[in-house]
Amino acid sequence: MHLPTQLSALLLVALPSAVRAVFQDEVGHIDYHYELLGLPQRETTFFHKPRRDDKASLLYTLSDVGVLGAVNPSSGAVLWRQLLNGTITDGGGFLRAGEGQNWLASAYGQSVHAWDAVNGRNKFWMDFAGEVKDLEVMEMTENNRKDILALFDENESTVLRRLSGNDGRVVWEYKETSGDVPLQVSTNVEKAFVISLRGSAGAYNIKVTILDALSGKREDELVLGTKADVHDKDDVILVGANSAAPIIAWTDDTRQQLRVSVLGQKTRQEFALSADTISVEIHAPHIVQSQPHFLVHSKTSTGHTAEVYHVDLRTNVITKAYQLPFTSGPGAFSTSSNGANVYFTRITDEELVIFSSISDTVLGRWPLKTTESRLVALHGVSEVVKKAGTDSYAVRSAAVTDTDEWILIRNGDVVWSRPEGLTGAVAATFVEIPESENLAKTLEQEAHSNPLEAYIHRVKRHLEDLQYLPTYLNNIPTRLMSSILGTEVSSHDVKLARDSFGFHKLVVLATRRGMIYVLDAGDHGKILASKRVFDLPKGQKWAIAGIKADDSTGIVTILGTNNDETIVKILPGTSFNIEVLSKGPEGSPATQSAALLNTVSGPRLFPVGSDGELQGLTSDILPNQVAVVRGSDRELKGVAIADGKQTVSWTFVLPKSQRIVDIAARPSHDAVASIGRVLGDRTVKYKYLNPNTLVVAAVDESTKIPSLVIYLLDTVSGQILASSKHEGVDPSKHIECAMAENWFTCTYFGQYRLRDGAQSLKGYQIVVSDLYETDKPNDRGVLGDAENFSSLGPIDAPGDVPLPSVVSQTFILSAPISALEVTQTRQGITSRQVLAYLPENHGIVGIPRMVLEPRRPVGRDPTAAEVEEGLIKYHPAIEIDPKSVHTHERDVIGVQKIIAAPAVVESTSLVFAYGIDVFGSRVAPSFLFDILGKGFNKVTLIGTVLAITAGVMILSPMVRRKQINALWGAPM
Amino acid sequence: MTDLKPVVDPAPRWVTDLANPPPYKSKPASIPDPPGYSSQAVSGSSKKKDVSRPAPREQPSPEKMDQLKLKKAWEVALAPAKNLPMTLIMMYMSGNSLQIFSIMMVFMAFKNPIMGLLSTNQAFERFETDSNRGSILQVKAAYVLMQVLALAVGVWKINSMGLLPTTRSDWLAWEVRREPLEHAVPALSL
Repeated sequence: MHLPTQLSALLLVALPSAVRAVFQDEVGHIDYHYELLGLPQRETTFFHKPRRDDKASLLYTLSDVGVLGAVNPSSGAVLWRQLLNGTITDGGGFLRAGEGQNWLASAYGQSVHAWDAVNGRNKFWMDFAGEVKDLEVMEMTENNRKDILALFDENESTVLRRLSGNDGRVVWEYKETSGDVPLQVSTNVEKAFVISLRGSAGAYNIKVTILDALSGKREDELVLGTKADVHDKDDVILVGANSAAPIIAWTDDTRQQLRVSVLGQKTRQEFALSADTISVEIHAPHIVQSQPHFLVHSKTSTGHTAEVYHVDLRTNVITKAYQLPFTSGPGAFSTSSNGANVYFTRITDEELVIFSSISDTVLGRWPLKTTESRLVALHGVSEVVKKAGTDSYAVRSAAVTDTDEWILIRNGDVVWSRPEGLTGAVAATFVEIPESENLAKTLEQEAHSNPLEAYIHRVKRHLEDLQYLPTYLNNIPTRLMSSILGTEVSSHDVKLARDSFGFHKLVVLATRRGMIYVLDAGDHGKILASKRVFDLPKGQKWAIAGIKADDSTGIVTILGTNNDETIVKILPGTSFNIEVLSKGPEGSPATQSAALLNTVSGPRLFPVGSDGELQGLTSDILPNQVAVVRGSDRELKGVAIADGKQTVSWTFVLPKSQRIVDIAARPSHDAVASIGRVLGDRTVKYKYLNPNTLVVAAVDESTKIPSLVIYLLDTVSGQILASSKHEGVDPSKHIECAMAENWFTCTYFGQYRLRDGAQSLKGYQIVVSDLYETDKPNDRGVLGDAENFSSLGPIDAPGDVPLPSVVSQTFILSAPISALEVTQTRQGITSRQVLAYLPENHGIVGIPRMVLEPRRPVGRDPTAAEVEEGLIKYHPAIEIDPKSVHTHERDVIGVQKIIAAPAVVESTSLVFAYGIDVFGSRVAPSFLFDILGKGFNKVTLIGTVLAITAGVMILSPMVRRKQINALWGAPM
Repeated sequence: MTDLKPVVDPAPRWVTDLANPPPYKSKPASIPDPPGYSSQAVSGSSKKKDVSRPAPREQPSPEKMDQLKLKKAWEVALAPAKNLPMTLIMMYMSGNSLQIFSIMMVFMAFKNPIMGLLSTNQAFERFETDSNRGSILQVKAAYVLMQVLALAVGVWKINSMGLLPTTRSDWLAWEVRREPLEHAVPALSL
């Protein structure tokens, strides 16, 4: 008895070393990853030479999701990335590069940072009290060093700081407490200009404060214009960064007039804009040596035009040089300078044209050769190179298109395009490829007709299928070869169809910019279709209340929070149909969430209004359903639905000092293989499997040190089934819960006391709780063998309430985790893993449920029976093992949510993570026990069989001859 | 062959008179002994002849015969019990894991008693007479008891191997989950 015990104990100890989330040969085969930056912003994207003497430049951007990164312009590959805020942001931020410097300066929120341009390493990171309003790199300083000017808004006062370009230390600081709105900063060799808005909202004046760049002393202050003619700070279009564009430009709020003033001058010049202009942009060079020429790009509803102006630095007069012809359709302009020469690049939907800033002669013109039908560039940056010795030019432009792609056009050819629109995803779901409708119909027909007819029909159908036989036979050699050699069958012209393992599913992804993507999870996450559903105005985001996929029909319904509904139809074959049902979003958010209610014709999504009332209820909703909705801040409500009417059946209100931080429910597909757990002595602990439960995590801030209270609610009665309190929790860190089967888990940052003393330590923790019907084995609790139960049913005695018995255990984690999700498999036989994103390690880890086991024996070795059950000795710390990280060496940033879906094979769960990056993989928590992995060596197998066959063929005549000889030979 | 016969038996007188007869050597049966060197006769026959020849065995009386048969029958009946300690030790040593050895042991532990029980009547056929039928019945009962005992050992073995569905966990798969009468849907923001 002893030997096997020790053996299995040894096995268990050895197991983690054998556990690998991903095998090397599966990398790139089962997983896919879009390494994304986010949509580049116009002001924070540029070409820059990372080294002074380098010829090649890189493309740098600070995107609208807060990722700073460098891209190789020739291949489109990401060289380095930094997530500035640690999480996804809503645009903003500043990025500047000093000419000839090997570093970049960036600012976001309250901090200013500098990065090595080649490898992206941090040079310095400075945090300040105020919010950064603008950032500029100074042209030249007294000690031949380029310094950074950062403008802050600190509690109503304007602060300008000059930071050393070497280490970020403050050289000087200028503070002004006038109450003006700080807007931007500009600089030339001797002076720094702070541009702020004076006055009140709707009627501002532009104020320019002139400072000495060397000392930071105020020299002068100018107020431009007499009447308050600036309506909003968005009306100020441009404040030139340096002496290449020493201007400040603004318009009136009706976009009728452009007013330009040279920095340091009180006078201003006015230029009329064409009557139907809706927006104006100014493009000016950034490099100091460039001529002070700028381009005004005005857009109308039908087309766009541009005018080029020159600034005379001696007389401070701005003159209009030339006007480019009006072109209908959208267009984008970008500036490029080469020494003193300034070039403007114009991208329209048909061609790419470059001009010099001096005259309107076209230096180069290339028609756009795109595969897509129409390319609409929103904004871009470009680099113009004059070919040595000739008069011809080459240009490459990186432009953001209206389909949220970032493309590079070199002389009219699209060299690469990056699907940056996949960032900022707000909802995603797996959906099955629908089976061919014809087949489904035929099968149904066969099922209903009489057996003989059905048989004949079937034989006919199979005979008809014979026409596909030659193609099938033709494919066999390639399939066989690919199966043996482990290569993949190219699927470019193969019809979209399910595979027998169930890996071939689609992912429908919705982003906050109003785009919908359909990815193929079975083909390395290839983007099969993308479509802009909503044209959202700037600053508005698409928020999603509910998403639901119907696997049999291939229809995905997305309910937005602004009364909008989108339907994505996936048709068998290769075509997609994305249909938008009702228009939106409009007005203020009216929908807080969506309830998936069962109706006579299957489950359907119903929007829940912001007041917690379900909308659009119909009478075909099945009875006995309760929808759990959020009431006010500290409130959950159960809304009972019957006959198309709703009544609040219960309200769960937290104490005043508490607020809800997270809610977790069991996933909709939560297969349970066994209703009990078999213990080592063959007794059974029955699981508490109530699908109508919810985990509510609330933070209690009434005490000095906040605490976390976790409630387990019955969602039919609103009753608290269990609750626990964890003291000393930091509410500003991630608190998240996940629930599956009969257990739930929550992670938080909190303090814990060591067993041997009063010392209290802080750390990231994970608490896991198992729910059983009773704490005694072989006992099904007060309900006994009842076949069904009702949370509302009457009880005879107070003790008859079927409350779960809770076993909990807490572990310390070696790294923070977020976006918790539990793997799902078809039958629930496979053990589970808690999938979580590691925000600091940029990976997705799978923590086995065997480790997160509340019944692990504490402070002693497990007994033989416990070992048999698979329990290992409790150890308080869970190290994030790199081998259990599903993303292995990939750097996956900004994951907001992970979703899992079962495959057809029991061993595997499909996983998809979105947020900034998009990552997908297959997870087999109990290993691939039902299919052959890639490591299975078919070559050896077939080789062995062939060798043995050859051996038999050679040996059998020899043996036969010997036997015959033996029969004929003389007996010895 | 016939002319050799008188030489083979009896052994010469000098052989029988030897104080230290030559040791018995085994030899293939097909090879006849050389004349005058009969190996059977060397050790056994001289003394046996001395004892048995003078007093040839008389036929026992029917009562005595019955007694003898009964005694023999009891021996047969108790034979399975004599194997039990051995079986027990072997089963204990073979462990409770499912291995080829323990599986074979268990198979034998069931096969032998069951075969024995099926052939109860054959086992006692030769001892049964008209007069001792009553007492043979007792013996048979004892025999069955012993086989059942051996069977019980087998049952004990498979029980300790966990093959008998005696615990709650063995029937867990047939227990059904309690279905809730109500259905709640969490309609909470994503």
